Amino acid sequence: MTFWIAVVAGGVLTYLTRSIPLAMTLRGTAPAAARRYLDALPIAIIAALAGAGTAVPDGGPTGGAEVGAVIVAVAIGAWRRNLLFAVIAGVVTVAALRALGL
Amino acid sequence: MTPARAALAEGWPLLLTSVVIGIPYGVIARQAGLSVIETSAMSVIVFAGAAQFAAVELLRSGAGAPVVALTILLINARHLLMAAALRPFVGGASLVRRLGLAYILTDEAFAMGIGHFRRGHRDLSYYTVFGISLWCCWNAGTLAGAVFGAGVTDPSRFGIDFAITASFAAIVAIGVRHRADAIVALAAALVAAALRLGGASAVAVVAAGALAPLVAFALHDEDRR
Repeated sequence: MTFWIAVVAGGVLTYLTRSIPLAMTLRGTAPAAARRYLDALPIAIIAALAGAGTAVPDGGPTGGAEVGAVIVAVAIGAWRRNLLFAVIAGVVTVAALRALGL
Repeated sequence: MTPARAALAEGWPLLLTSVVIGIPYGVIARQAGLSVIETSAMSVIVFAGAAQFAAVELLRSGAGAPVVALTILLINARHLLMAAALRPFVGGASLVRRLGLAYILTDEAFAMGIGHFRRGHRDLSYYTVFGISLWCCWNAGTLAGAVFGAGVTDPSRFGIDFAITASFAAIVAIGVRHRADAIVALAAALVAAALRLGGASAVAVVAAGALAPLVAFALHDEDRR
């Protein structure tokens, strides 16, 4: 029973975090400061996800392979403007660096 | 190419990775004593990878329902920020549609969808198709792991586990439009990394994501654009 209470409660709470801002109705124009904040928010969230995943890739701190790979992925992404190239370059780099023992 | 096809053409590495990460979740959940139905039910009801791994670990260690539910909430609080950032782009959609879009909101769907919107598109089909595809992939991977168990390979081999992080980093690199964007992104990444390394894993992304945009206010206007 603990399982179902935990999962249903956790699921409902999660859905509220997803739905409340989307369900809200916008009236008029947001203040300039709010627009500026919202404008910077997407990049900040995605960068935070990337930073967290790089620092602690799998339960423990990175040995350096992930840092090297994320630099490669960013460089290829900025240069080629192609998501697929950048992801493949990052994955190949991390595999190679891990194989070297990082 | 239609937006729906572009979502799959550009998003397949993330979709593939969600299957590959779903499998070990299924395996670990079964090892923690959950049934196949319970394992899959959590993927449908909670539908959030990091929170599900944490919940399984807590359930295995005998934590009570309130602790599990509140941990899930803490880890998933970042969705408040993502939904707020998406809100201006879904203005035309009905409330029912927006409530549906909310259910398929994940880190991956947000990153792909907001990238599409920032390139000037206004259709919702790119986000919708990617979000539903990701739901299918995550649940398929979860179920496969729960049913077939430990016969599957470790995703950290070949670096496949890193595809999601690499995607987020590349989406940021492609999406940066001016110097202020780059500074905000760097601040967010470093704060999140520091919080994660410091043990504040559950709140690392939401705290860094909420704080870093404030850096934009400290920059001079002439630095923008």
